[in-house]
Amino acid sequence: MNLISGIDITTGALNAQKTRLDIVAQNIANTQTTRGPDGRAYQRRVVSFETQLMRQQQAAGQSLQSVKVAQITTDKTPGQRIYDPQHPDAGADGMVQMPNVNLAFEMVDLITASRAYEANLSVVKNARQMAMKTLEIGK
Amino acid sequence: MACPLHYSPCMVDPIFQSPNYQLASKLLDVSVLRQEAIASNIANSETPGYRRIDVAPDFATELRSRINAGDMTAATRLEARLTEDSNARSMRPDGNSVQIDSELLQMNRNMVEHDFLSEVISRNIKQLRLAITGRAG
Repeated sequence: MNLISGIDITTGALNAQKTRLDIVAQNIANTQTTRGPDGRAYQRRVVSFETQLMRQQQAAGQSLQSVKVAQITTDKTPGQRIYDPQHPDAGADGMVQMPNVNLAFEMVDLITASRAYEANLSVVKNARQMAMKTLEIGK
Repeated sequence: MACPLHYSPCMVDPIFQSPNYQLASKLLDVSVLRQEAIASNIANSETPGYRRIDVAPDFATELRSRINAGDMTAATRLEARLTEDSNARSMRPDGNSVQIDSELLQMNRNMVEHDFLSEVISRNIKQLRLAITGRAG
């Protein structure tokens, strides 16, 4: 039996949320990047989650599921084009292709991810307290 | 558990066989199972289509009816299992039925329950120690 129950489920979730925070950081860092390694403007990355079967219940009950990052995709929506002829990446018409990062979206994502991370951390804390209490039985 | 033959006047076993002790240890297992379910729910609070799971509600009703029937061995033999919570309504377009605030509240409630039950079990063992040594602590 697992002493700190459910810890493997929460580990997956913490990892997934942390990846999401990393991606948000990357998106925010690249809000003004007009030239990436491929020579084009940065396109924001989107993280998608999928459940991961942890273990099947013996008595035909519901199984426990953790979560993991399924894939990191690029958001294909076109970014803004602004007129700035002085910009080194401006086209012949003086327009610059900007990244499609929207700071408001990213901030919302950031807050959601960090709240979810906190919630999972409190699950760990709780599980630990329960385990400690169990160890104190009879003392 | 039957008393081994070589301890003929078996005195220790009745303490561990008292209905309250056995029920408490059963419910302690259930609270650990519920903690796992809540961990799974919170982990998947943002997974589209995930439905929250919980200890099957028929466990409590079945347990109550077995206790009322006075059959303690049958009551302690009851196994809890996890099922999808069919009462949970999904308020979100992605079909996920987890509400993080209610999960956190249930987690806290479950921990208090766990504390209480482990205290009950602890007291049982302390009583035994008191009987053996003649002093508390």
